[in-house]
Amino acid sequence: MTMTIPAAPAMPAVPAAQPVDGFAAPLPPTEPAPLTAPAPSAPSAPSAPSSTSAPSPRSGPSGLSAPGFPEAQVRARARTGAAAVFPDPGTYGAHLHGPAAGHTGDALDRLRIVPPVFMPERLEKLIDLAREPEFGDVDLTARVGGFTARLPLYLSAFGSTRAGSGDLAVHASRQAARLGIPMVIGENMVPVHGYRKAGDATRSALRARVEAYLEAAPDGVGGIVVQQSTEDADSEVWNLLYSDPAFRPLLETGRLAFELKTGQGAKPGLGGMTVVGRAEAEQLARRFTVREVFGEDAPRLLRCATPGTFTEEILRQQLRFMRNNFPKARTWVKFHPGRDIERAARTAWAAGADAVTVDGAEGGTGWAPGVFLDQVGLPLAECLRRIGRPGGCLLASGGVWEGGRAVRALALGATAVGLGRAALVAVDEDPEHGLERLVEALALELRLLVSALGKYAPAALAPDDLWDPAQGAVPC
Amino acid sequence: MDQPAPFAAAPPTPPPLGEHLRSPELRAAMLVQQEALQGARDYLRGQGFTELLPPLVGPVTDPGGRGAKALDVDYYGHPYKLMTSAILYKQASLRGFPRLFYVAPNVRVEPEETATTGRHLVEFHQIDVEIADAGREEAQEIAAGLLSHVTEHVWTTIPEVLTGLGRMEADFADIRAGKYDVRTHDEAVSRLLSLGHPQNPDGEIDWTGERILSLESDRPFFVDDYPKGSRGFYDREDPERPGVLRNFDLIAPHGYGELVSGSEREADYATLVTRMRESGENPAKYAWYLKEAREGIPASAGFGMGLQRLVRFLTGFDALWQVSAYPKLPGVVTP
Repeated sequence: MTMTIPAAPAMPAVPAAQPVDGFAAPLPPTEPAPLTAPAPSAPSAPSAPSSTSAPSPRSGPSGLSAPGFPEAQVRARARTGAAAVFPDPGTYGAHLHGPAAGHTGDALDRLRIVPPVFMPERLEKLIDLAREPEFGDVDLTARVGGFTARLPLYLSAFGSTRAGSGDLAVHASRQAARLGIPMVIGENMVPVHGYRKAGDATRSALRARVEAYLEAAPDGVGGIVVQQSTEDADSEVWNLLYSDPAFRPLLETGRLAFELKTGQGAKPGLGGMTVVGRAEAEQLARRFTVREVFGEDAPRLLRCATPGTFTEEILRQQLRFMRNNFPKARTWVKFHPGRDIERAARTAWAAGADAVTVDGAEGGTGWAPGVFLDQVGLPLAECLRRIGRPGGCLLASGGVWEGGRAVRALALGATAVGLGRAALVAVDEDPEHGLERLVEALALELRLLVSALGKYAPAALAPDDLWDPAQGAVPC
Repeated sequence: MDQPAPFAAAPPTPPPLGEHLRSPELRAAMLVQQEALQGARDYLRGQGFTELLPPLVGPVTDPGGRGAKALDVDYYGHPYKLMTSAILYKQASLRGFPRLFYVAPNVRVEPEETATTGRHLVEFHQIDVEIADAGREEAQEIAAGLLSHVTEHVWTTIPEVLTGLGRMEADFADIRAGKYDVRTHDEAVSRLLSLGHPQNPDGEIDWTGERILSLESDRPFFVDDYPKGSRGFYDREDPERPGVLRNFDLIAPHGYGELVSGSEREADYATLVTRMRESGENPAKYAWYLKEAREGIPASAGFGMGLQRLVRFLTGFDALWQVSAYPKLPGVVTP
């Protein structure tokens, strides 16, 4: 089938989404007031340089210096303590944080896509069509976690951070619906932003996204996936949606899924984190851990969610519980790139998960300590290698923004790939059609690449479509 | 066998409240309910049980099953819940009352899909029984005895009301004689699959499946050994068979479905915390209950018998709203 989406240049219309540290996504005018104003009685807090943004070195009072040593970072920590563990809180809500630029070009990107000379599937397609197959004949339709998607793509979870739950996320929702791809709504939206205020026309962040999606969704394709983690469980988010008449159309058309979130690529082993002002921190302290890591006098605090506790049996039982309690909803599970990802994925499929999402260490849009962004978790390529042949629907996310990386992930076993930071950057560039244009370019690349491999559906891709230069000896 | 239509053809929604309250059908149902409660109290007190009155709100309630949600209330600024079930209080009460029962009101915001089962209301009552140092068999004996005694009492005191509703005394002979069957969850699943009804072996028997099994039976039967992922953290796992619970349902014959859910209870603190995680719960919510568990809640078994379901079974009405004076159907906003 051929997609109908607005015209756009065939080449990617936005810059690479991976080197995001320092990429400024200006807040739309309707965002809450920035949290930069210091408390009236507090002295100005020192700026907190990020461990990943290489502050300029400067000599100490005695003139001592240490060339070749990460002196700037050591000095930054010496000045600001715990705050230096994190990016500058002044960038909260405006920057999308990921591994530093030097960390891009990962193992997945290094794989070459290698078409064969002999292409029996092209002959099959030729016989089927009675004409020469073209790249436009590639059918990108995919079954994604129990849903039908027009492309092997989905909109990744953004969570409750300011960038991920404001207008940008609503624009991304609407465009994902038009594209006919599923959308995942991140954890902590209800405990942080509420759900519905009685007698008040105000829509919650979660409902605003759902309504934007439903207004634009074509019949029969796409779907909405809602995450839940520990704090959401306290708010009974899944029970809330499952018993809300507004969600009945989704349930009746099989287009609602619940995703058990065990972690995320940006900070494996940690729960969600946001930066909040003091007033908001007081409100949230009952539901979340709130810490003064930016200094006692700083206007902002760190709000942390707890990551949940998982053993093999707990995972198995939680998934069974989800299937038992919400039989009309699909069951998804999202893993951080842990070293036992293969066992986790197989446990989830065996317990009946409709989709397993693996978020590689390159993933994430949210607020995370620099050491986690740069140093923790398996790269996506290694996750996919360890999982090997998937036992069910496998979804992959982590730095995907163009067709080449998507094709590599699909060839390594993924059924579909998620767009996170790339989607937010795209809607920031053009709130009306930015994501659609980004995806149009990506879809064209997918068609070109899949057909170049002599294949006509993403599901036909296989690991032998890729070559790893690190594994192949160069002949002398 | 053809599967029955999902549910019997009851009028889908109640008439206006005044009309409903004046109807002879409701009057008959309330007479049966009154005698059922009298019979239940007589029987349980005769077995050495003490009646307590259940709490209505608490920091936490039974975690919702099958998509139902608790109602939140603001309790001096704290998020409290209306009871969906008083199970946790039953366990805690064992510390002073080794054989206790409640006639407990419950509120569950059920998903709309349950509005047409004929077996779900948002507000309902449950005859809640808990027995210290008892196993599953003793709880089943009490549940069966309770149902038999109540049936006997109602047929003895107001037979004309039941016959006036078209009920046949002969259909209740097995129950009055205390004849019950037993099968396992595995056997129930196999039976449904052999009838061509898709049934998840890891989960609850679904509404239609339960109705199929109930329709093809002439006497009440217990279903034992539900799988762990299908029930709350307080149902005790069989130490000999991991993944299998020491629990049961009691299903009425002739399509009326489940009347009772019960189990041996988990009382070990560390196991309770682990089981809470398995059902996605945050133990911090259950602080008061876990404190009691750390100090030592007695081992027990118990059950809850749905009062409106019991009355519907005795009267033969199609839907629970017909035996409730102030019915609230799932998804329908009513007084």
